[in-house]
Amino acid sequence: MTTAYEEKISPEYTMSTVMEEAQRCLLCHDAPCSKACPAGTDPARFIRSVRFRNFKGAAEIVRENNSLGGVCAHVCPTERYCQAGCSRCGIDRPIDIGGIQRFVTDMERRLQMEILRPGAPNGRHVAVVGAGPAGLEAAASLRRLGYEITVFEKRERPGGYLRYGIPAYRLPDEVVDADVAAIERLGVRFRCGVTVGTDVTMESLKAEYDAVLVATGAGEGKTLPLFDGDSRVETAVAFLARVRGNKGRGESIPDHALVVGGGDVAMDAATTLKKLGVRRVTDVAYEEFCEFLASAQELEGARNAGVTIIDGYIPVAVEGKAVVFRHRHIDAELRLAADKIILAVGQKADAAGLGLAMNGNEAQSRDYRTADEKIFVAGDIAPGDKTVVWAVRKGREAARAIHSSLEERRSR
Amino acid sequence: MISKDLSIDFLGVRFENPFCLSSSPVGNCYDMCAKAYDLGWGGVVFKTIGPAHFLIDEVSPRFDALTKEGTPFIGFKNMEQIAEHSLQENLADLRKLKEHYPDKVLIASIMGSNEKDWTELAGLVEEAGADMIEMNLSCPQMTSHAMGSDVGANPELCRAFCEAVKRGSRLPLMAKMTPNITDMVPVARACLAGGADGIAAINTIKSIVNLDLNRKVGLPIINGKSSISGYSGKAVKPVALRFIQQLRSGEGLSQLPISGIGGIETWEDAAEFILLGASTLQVTTAVMQYGYRIVEDLKNGLMHYMEEQGVDRLEDLVGLANASMVPAESLDRDYIVYPRLDEERCIGCGRCYISCYDGAHQALEWNEETRRPSCNTEKCVGCHLCVLICPVGALSKGDVVMKPGRKGKAEDKSI
Ligand SMILES: Cc1cc2nc3c(=O)[nH]c(=O)nc-3n(C[C@H](O)[C@H](O)[C@H](O)COP(=O)(O)OP(=O)(O)OC[C@H]3O[C@@H](n4cnc5c(N)ncnc54)[C@H](O)[C@@H]3O)c2cc1C
Ligand SMILES: Cc1cc2nc3c(=O)[nH]c(=O)nc-3n(C[C@H](O)[C@H](O)[C@H](O)COP(=O)(O)O)c2cc1C
Ligand code: SF4
Ligand code: SF4
Ligand code: SF4
Repeated sequence: MTTAYEEKISPEYTMSTVMEEAQRCLLCHDAPCSKACPAGTDPARFIRSVRFRNFKGAAEIVRENNSLGGVCAHVCPTERYCQAGCSRCGIDRPIDIGGIQRFVTDMERRLQMEILRPGAPNGRHVAVVGAGPAGLEAAASLRRLGYEITVFEKRERPGGYLRYGIPAYRLPDEVVDADVAAIERLGVRFRCGVTVGTDVTMESLKAEYDAVLVATGAGEGKTLPLFDGDSRVETAVAFLARVRGNKGRGESIPDHALVVGGGDVAMDAATTLKKLGVRRVTDVAYEEFCEFLASAQELEGARNAGVTIIDGYIPVAVEGKAVVFRHRHIDAELRLAADKIILAVGQKADAAGLGLAMNGNEAQSRDYRTADEKIFVAGDIAPGDKTVVWAVRKGREAARAIHSSLEERRSR
Repeated sequence: MISKDLSIDFLGVRFENPFCLSSSPVGNCYDMCAKAYDLGWGGVVFKTIGPAHFLIDEVSPRFDALTKEGTPFIGFKNMEQIAEHSLQENLADLRKLKEHYPDKVLIASIMGSNEKDWTELAGLVEEAGADMIEMNLSCPQMTSHAMGSDVGANPELCRAFCEAVKRGSRLPLMAKMTPNITDMVPVARACLAGGADGIAAINTIKSIVNLDLNRKVGLPIINGKSSISGYSGKAVKPVALRFIQQLRSGEGLSQLPISGIGGIETWEDAAEFILLGASTLQVTTAVMQYGYRIVEDLKNGLMHYMEEQGVDRLEDLVGLANASMVPAESLDRDYIVYPRLDEERCIGCGRCYISCYDGAHQALEWNEETRRPSCNTEKCVGCHLCVLICPVGALSKGDVVMKPGRKGKAEDKSI
């Protein structure tokens, strides 16, 4: 039995309703949607295939341009990317690109299509550290160029935040499983449960492999000194990872939970609490709604789940069971008593033991190359947006950087 | 991405894939044809070339479209005649195309007003490098009655003109048929007798598509008047398929080489033409509407279809459905297939009920409480109007029952 937590929120298209949506697409020249996809998934092209009833061809386009096309179809903040410039806005509202992509990748999964193919072996071997979307896409891209790939992952399974962060009601396990399995079938080797820096050293990887890509993400939730030692407090990423694992079974249910933060992670934590059955969930955000960080979809999801959202306040003190907030601009104070407090105030990179020179949360790099010619970086620790689709883009670009660097080294 | 060999031999010429531009403005000049080749079309039938003495003078505007609800271009009407460029320009373009694209198939469409024209044009296009000739015997809006579909409806003239073309050129020859005729077989036979090697079908259907209701004039309006002229696009596909089937059912014509034309937009349309006997396919309206890029999904979709069917050579699909089409009197009339309702899928709109009442046999009963239909098999004749109407596919083929007194078993029927 699926729990309330696992129930999917996005409706699914049928063959006829997806055609209705695809028919709304104007099949633009020099399509703005395709130009706006960070990973180059080329929505205009796959929507056109759907429109001309070539569903399998549509799946090929998605997959060949984006090894995590199934995942992206579920989690991309499309209103910021492909749908933002959609020409259809000149008539009414953008095409539901994410929905069409979900239909296409769901069909691909049902038909067990095998689209990705490894390249002819080139005799070189690359190690990837971290099996989040960036590491996964890099591994797939390099396999398609003929590299041997070993991915080291400290958790028990690949996926990064796809498996241990984003809630299952937005990103079902089977979608992650399918995308990861396709990459595994490409011949990528995974060594899970191995922490690089502790169980294996960077030095040994460098000695053994032609190049090392570090894509370890920003896995640790930030905290606020104000709450140090408070037993009610947990970071959102720790909370979400645990619930994702136990599917909400066996969680203790507080009476009133407080979430601090206004990004997608905060919305996910607050919505998850409601889905677990917490009666009162209040989210207090630093940003005001006019400058909100969370996507419109996530905000709406939280509101629909019954979360109370208060914008523009900063936590200033803890007084017994109550947390005191002050408004950032107005002379106003807020006191909220809570049994559980979840902090969603950002994540930080945990690159300890990897020998990377860091600039805050990002590793010092240029075009994915670091000072060490054998070490490359991608994903959340590389410059660019901190989203899955950007992790895919960075993974692929880093793979190209590795390829050209190794070609250069060989010709030297 | 799937990769399969789509090549096919047609009239002794090898096409890298069966998809060709049909003769029309989509293949009007060198640049257009070159772009089409670059994007993956296997062949081009160049815009019909006429004799130098026939002056082309076109109207403006020259198109109209039939639409329905949100669908643009159900069908498309045009008032164009043949190439607007001069004979010399057209021949120069053919020459350049063959030079730059030696492996792509270049077909010259020609049209004369007398035997001399046909013979001369045939010689000229062969000399310019065409791989094949298509005779346009079928344009329905020519300003001369010695040209176009008036000729194509007359078997004797068709035969004489085919012979004239054969005198001018030894290239493989297709005769392009007009659908503005009841039976195409006598015309096709006359063309074959005159030396044609294969048939291209269909050209456009004579039509009036819309009227301006205030001005009480047909569209498009040309200085207050309009004309009957050719209709093409998705709407004509059923008519084209019918003619192709009828050609192949003609005595001794079961292997007739055919280039299929009319309303092809998707790989599914293409597969239908192939299964009914077309070896190559030609497209105009869908290209005018969406661009040459549609060939990507035509080819890729056809490859996936071949893969699903376990077929490695396209020619193995040609004509596979011909035998399934039989005269109406030969059909099995011994059984009824009742509709079956999937209660889970039904959304309670009641459209099936309305259509069964107003357009069929009042067999569906409507439960006002549950908002669900149920079928009274005493009244239901199994016409399946309701199945076609249901917006969610909740009605489908259900129980098969023999009509009273008929021999045979319901379970043996292939429904
Ligand atoms: C709750 C939440 C919701 C989100 N929702 C969305 C969303 O809806 N849409 C969207 O686009 N983005 C979303 N994001 C952001 C997105 O998940 C990240 O931008 C993306 O996952 C970054 O990919 P990555 O590969 O760089 O890192 P990660 O996904 O963090 O993966 C890094 C991997 O490296 C492993 N690792 C770390 N250190 C080591 C080591 N030393 N040795 C071995 N392995 C190691 C980790 O275990 C992890 O598996 C969300 C993030 C969170 C936290
Ligand atoms: C604007 C237009 C011009 C055409 N001109 C020619 C022509 O010059 N010669 C010809 O043989 N057919 C001509 N045709 C007919 C097409 O080649 C084709 O037979 C017909 O349009 C049906 O195919 P379709 O439904 O793919 O358009 C023309 C069609 C259109 C729409
Ligand atoms: S921008 Fe919008 S309308 Fe244009 S091709 Fe993309 S999805 Fe279609
Ligand atoms: S389609 Fe081009 S040629 Fe035709 S009227 Fe418009 S601008 Fe002119
Ligand atoms: S048309 Fe279909 S959905 Fe509507 S009532 Fe009939 S069976 Fe139900």
